Amino acid sequence: MSSLRNKIVNKSQSENSVGRKVLLKDGSEPEILFKNKAENKPVVKSRFGRKAPLAAAVVLAIIIAGCIFSDLITTIDPSYMDLSKLDLAPCAGYIFGTDTMGRDIYSMIWYGGRISLFIGIVSALISTLIAVTIGALSGSASDRMDAVIMRITDIILSIPSLPLAIMLQAMMGAANVISLSVVIGATNWMNMAKLIRTEVRQLRDTEYVIAARNMGGGFFYVLFKHLAPNFIPSLMFMIVMSIRSAIASESTLSFLGMGLPLEQISWGSMLSLSEKALMTDSWWIIVIPGAFLAVTLLCFTSLGNSLRGELSKRHSQL
Amino acid sequence: MHKQKLIKLIKRILITFLSIALLSLIVFYISRLAPGDPLVSYFGERAQKLTAEERSLALSKLGLDQPIAVQYIRWLQHALQGDFGISYKYKIPVTELISDRIGNTLILGGIGFILIFFGALILGFFCAWHEDKLTDRVICTFGTVLGCIPEFWLSLIFILIFAVTLRVLPSSGAYSIGGGDIADRIRHLIMPLSVVVIDHLWYYSYMVRNKLVSEFRADYVLCARAKGLSKAQIITRHCLRNIMPSYLSIMAVAVPHIIGGTYIVESVFAYPGLGTLIYESARYKDYNLLMLLCIMTGAAVIVCGELAKLINERIDPRLRKSMRFTEDEEVDEL
Repeated sequence: MSSLRNKIVNKSQSENSVGRKVLLKDGSEPEILFKNKAENKPVVKSRFGRKAPLAAAVVLAIIIAGCIFSDLITTIDPSYMDLSKLDLAPCAGYIFGTDTMGRDIYSMIWYGGRISLFIGIVSALISTLIAVTIGALSGSASDRMDAVIMRITDIILSIPSLPLAIMLQAMMGAANVISLSVVIGATNWMNMAKLIRTEVRQLRDTEYVIAARNMGGGFFYVLFKHLAPNFIPSLMFMIVMSIRSAIASESTLSFLGMGLPLEQISWGSMLSLSEKALMTDSWWIIVIPGAFLAVTLLCFTSLGNSLRGELSKRHSQL
Repeated sequence: MHKQKLIKLIKRILITFLSIALLSLIVFYISRLAPGDPLVSYFGERAQKLTAEERSLALSKLGLDQPIAVQYIRWLQHALQGDFGISYKYKIPVTELISDRIGNTLILGGIGFILIFFGALILGFFCAWHEDKLTDRVICTFGTVLGCIPEFWLSLIFILIFAVTLRVLPSSGAYSIGGGDIADRIRHLIMPLSVVVIDHLWYYSYMVRNKLVSEFRADYVLCARAKGLSKAQIITRHCLRNIMPSYLSIMAVAVPHIIGGTYIVESVFAYPGLGTLIYESARYKDYNLLMLLCIMTGAAVIVCGELAKLINERIDPRLRKSMRFTEDEEVDEL
């Protein structure tokens, strides 16, 4: 049993090390003189690292299921404004209370979660698409072209993304779910593109890519057939994190009054009522949607971190 | 040798200026292509009532009837002479408007950045020292949870606790009306500053911790250990020095991240800084103001990036040797 485990551990180690090839200054590979003994020992599982993603996955699954099946678990129409029940504290009929416009917060959370998650996923897809195209283009271009593309990417990266998103949103007119996703996706691809560019630059001189090129494979053929399968594992982490940051951007934009309007319920637009709520001291309008938002973000973060892979499997030398 | 260095430096400075010029071009185009009526911010409600003739007169007076390229060149000519135009909304030169507010933002963002810079090093060092022990795991979990909370919500919670419920701290502004002494400023600064720091600190501490922890696995650490160096000596003299260059470049990338966070926090706390101004100007299509704010922010980031590269080459001889080094820094989601 233990020898089998050894093998598995060693295999995963060699897989990890493929991505980062160490080269000497003159471009040759270094000769391995001795191998550290610790590498051959079975690895002690980190108690902390293993448990977290499971809990996060369960909680996230509950939240996503609740949002998808929100028709089944809620009875009150989330957009119905009951003017006789403004600003109600959590009670039996309204377990999360009602907001300053008399809407039921419990139903709003599940219906709003739909929009928030939808925007998160769509804009992550958009930014991944942009990042893959630009990163691969830059990675496979000539040195000079590569430098120019990366310089421009750096410049766009230097504008804080929220003001940029606000400007773009102004360009696209009144915000709706699709335009907001496009705007958030379009302001969030830069880091991912840089990662893909680095990966592609490492891969592009490998024999099989050259062979595919010589046989007449076009840019996109080589990209999706040969390059993408190689960088997708390291990309997964960034995709999950970009869902996370897209949800956060949506809520921030809507909160500032530059994203979704009040009638379009999302976690962010629910929080845009909080200025009024502060005046009437109704904490539930602020705390409950925000808590859902924060928990969702936390789940995505810990899932992303577990995808990032363990650090080095070796033992500390200290 | 000296000449070579000088040429390299000049090249660097040229590239920096070119980047800033390109940045201004991008921002200019984006802001001008936006629909929405800049005259609304200039005339307010009256903009709708203008006749067609008055409109075209106003547009040509503000230079908005020209093609965008012409507008840009004209803007650039004026900008090079230090004239960035007037704010359509406030009707005073934008430079004047910004100089009123920039101090507040610099205090908030600058102190925040310095606290994060050193705090992350210390906290990361502490966690790496206690690697995988209870303290480390507790701090890691706690930090991840805190880092996931969006700035604006954390600010709201702070206001709810400290301003509404406990009534110990003021909820908005940079100073109370009438008063403006140091103690008053500090009281207004506590909440925004702690939100900025809390929200960003863990992200960078975790990076320091991970970098240190993977550094502990290098063979030279074993060698140093065999030579009899103590743990503290190894970490401070060897590991910390090794991670410094990449930490500096990460912190250079962190500048836009922290500035963005500061802007959000400012607008929640109605803190009179650049953040509130930038959102206002984007909303009311106040072109000149928006341009200058975005360019200033971007330029600060670009300059910080170049500065980090320069410092890195000073402290890391490996980067100095090779004229063109491949940037293999870890790219992380911000």
